[in-house]
Amino acid sequence: MSTHDSMLPRRAMLGLGLAATAAAALPLRSARADANVIANATIAASPQMTSGQRFKKSGKLRIGFSNGFSGNTWRTECLASLRQEAANRPDIADLIVVDGQGSITKQVNDIGDLVTQQVDAILCIANSATAVVPALRRATREGIATVPFNLPVEGEDWCAYVGTDPTKKGRMLGTYLRDALNGKGNIVALGGLPGNSYTAACWAGTQETLGSGIKVLAFAPASWQEDKAKIIMADWLTAYPNIDGVWADGGMDSAGAVEAMLAAGRKLVPVTGDDYNGILKLHAKQQASQPDFKIGLVSEPTWESVIALRTALDLLAGKDVPKQQTIVPQLITDANSTTYIKSNLPDGVYVDTTLSDAELAKLFR
Amino acid sequence: MAVLLLWLLAGLVTPSFLTLGQVRNVVQVAAFLGVVSLGQTVALLVGGIDLSVGGVVTLTNILATSLMVGQDSRIAVAVGVSLLAAVAVGSINGLVVALLRVTPLIATLGMNAILFGAALFYTGGAPNGGASPGFAVLGQGHLLGVPASTLCWLATAFVLAVALRRSLFGRWLYATGANPVAAHLMGVPVRAVLVTSYVLSSLLAALGGLLLTSYIGNPSLGIGEEFLLTSIAAAVVGGTALSGGVGGVLGTVGGALFITEANSFTTIAHLATGAQYIAQGAIIAASVLIYSWLSPGGASSSLQP
Repeated sequence: MSTHDSMLPRRAMLGLGLAATAAAALPLRSARADANVIANATIAASPQMTSGQRFKKSGKLRIGFSNGFSGNTWRTECLASLRQEAANRPDIADLIVVDGQGSITKQVNDIGDLVTQQVDAILCIANSATAVVPALRRATREGIATVPFNLPVEGEDWCAYVGTDPTKKGRMLGTYLRDALNGKGNIVALGGLPGNSYTAACWAGTQETLGSGIKVLAFAPASWQEDKAKIIMADWLTAYPNIDGVWADGGMDSAGAVEAMLAAGRKLVPVTGDDYNGILKLHAKQQASQPDFKIGLVSEPTWESVIALRTALDLLAGKDVPKQQTIVPQLITDANSTTYIKSNLPDGVYVDTTLSDAELAKLFR
Repeated sequence: MAVLLLWLLAGLVTPSFLTLGQVRNVVQVAAFLGVVSLGQTVALLVGGIDLSVGGVVTLTNILATSLMVGQDSRIAVAVGVSLLAAVAVGSINGLVVALLRVTPLIATLGMNAILFGAALFYTGGAPNGGASPGFAVLGQGHLLGVPASTLCWLATAFVLAVALRRSLFGRWLYATGANPVAAHLMGVPVRAVLVTSYVLSSLLAALGGLLLTSYIGNPSLGIGEEFLLTSIAAAVVGGTALSGGVGGVLGTVGGALFITEANSFTTIAHLATGAQYIAQGAIIAASVLIYSWLSPGGASSSLQP
C-alpha cells in the first residue's frame, strides 16, 4: 500500500488484503490473567503457511526484539506482556530488547546486531515498512525465525506477521458512527501522525461505510496526542456551529476532542477511538449529564507481542505457522464499556491487555 | 503587523476566523509556545541557542503531573520541583557552554536527549498522575473573558521586556550576544551572563510546560517535541537573529502568535493534510522574508526589546 511510512507511527499497520480466512482461536494456555483475553479473541490465519523445518532449534533459546521506539504507554504494555510471556517459558534463556529510538537507520543496525549475536528468533515492530526488509531478509536466510508484528513489513522475506487490519477497523468505526448518527449529520475527523499508513488505511475503511448522509467537515492529523487534538478541536468548534460526531482512530485524539467540547460548553456528541482508558473514564464521568455522548472504540491489542513470540517459538520447535495472523479487535461501546474500563488505573492504560490490574498498577507506578 | 495581516487574510478565507471565540482560542493556545519562545529568545540574544526546551517541557509535564496526582494541596510541591529542575538544567547548559566551551547547539541538543531519556526512565514509559482542578484554572480558566494562560504569557513577556531594556543585565546580555570578546573587554561578566541566560531559557520553558500541563491535565512523553524548532521559528519570525545580539522579546510575542495563527488557520480552512503543512511552512518562510525586506539594513537595526 504505502511505501514510506511516517517515522513514528505509534502502533500502526497496513491493510493486509487478506482473503477471508478461517478463524483459529488459540488454545487456552494457563490460568494467568491473559488466558481469557487471548482465548476469547479471534485470530484469523492466512492459508499460506511458513514451514518451521528450517528454523528448528534445540536447547535454550535466545530471542531478540527490535522495538522501533519506546515512550508511549501502548508500547510499554506491549513490552511488559512480552517480558511476562518470555519469563513463563523455561525454554527461553534470554530475551534481548533493542530500541530503535524512532530512527529507521538505528533499527536496521539493531537488527544487524541481533543477527551478529546469533539469536534464534527476531521479533520486530518496524519504524519503516521498507527499510528493515534487507535486514530481516538476511536474518531469515541465516536461519533466524523472523516475526514482524503490529506494523507491517513489505514483501515476504520474513517468516510470519501478526497484527490487526486497519481497513477493517476503519469499517467498524465508520459503521458505528453512521449508526450512532442515524445515517445523517456532520462530522470532523482526527488522525494520528501526519502521513502515517495506519490512519490512511483506517480512514479509507471508514469512508467506505459512512454513507451519503454523513458530511465530513474537516480532517486533520493530531498525532495521537491529547493536547494537539484539543487545540485542533477548539478551532473547529468555533468554525463549525454544528458538529454531530467526531471520528478518531485513537482514543487520545477523541479524549482531546471531548475536552475541547467541554471547555467550549458544547453538547457532547458520539466519538470513536481506541481502547485508551482516558476516553473510557471521560465517558463514564460525563455519561449521566450528556445523553448524546456515545463511544465506539476499536481496540489495538497490546498483546500482539505475545502472539508474535508464540509464533516464533512454534517455528523454533519446527512447526508450520500461518504466514499472516490477523487479530480481530474488540469493539467497545456504551453497551459493554463497563467490562473494559479500568477506573482505578491511569488514563494512559490501553485496556485490551493481558496484564492484570495489579500488574498494570505496578507498571504505571 | 504581520499578525493582524494574517488574521485579516484568514478572515477573508474563513469568516469564522474573526469571531471572538476563535481569537480567544488562538491567544489561549499561543501562550504555551509564546512563553517557551521567550526563553528561546533570551538564549538567541546572548548568542546561543537552546535546543533543550522541548525536553524541559516534557520533563516539566511528567514531573508536574506525577507529583500533583490531581490534588490541589500538592500544586506547590509540583510547581516547585519542576522549576528547580529547570534551574538545574539551565545551569548545566550554561556551565557547559560558558566554561567547557561546547557549542550551544550540541550542548543543548545533548541535554534535550538526556531529558527525554530521564522522563522515560522516571516513568518507565508508563506515566501516571494528572493536573489538579485548581491548577487547571491556569491553562483553562478565563479572567474577564481573557484566557488565564494568555495573561500569564503577556505578563511574563512584559516583565522580561522591561528587564532586558532597563536593567544592567539586559545591556550585558545584548553586549555578550553581539560580541563576547568586546563585552569581556568592557568588563561584562560574560560567563555569568551566559549561565543566567540559559537558566532563564530553561525556566521559561518550564513555565510554558506548566501552562500546557494545566491546559491538557495529563502526562504525555511526546508533548515537548514540537517546541524544539517552533520556539526558534517564533523568535526568528519576530525579528530575533540567530547570530545573537539582535532582536527582542516583544517581536517574539508576535512571532508565537503568528505561528499559532497560521496553524489554526490551516486547520480550519479546507486543506488536505499535506497542504496544511505546506501552507504553514510557506507562511512562516514568507513572513521572515517580508520582515527582512521591511527592516532597513537588516541586522544593524538591533536593540528593540
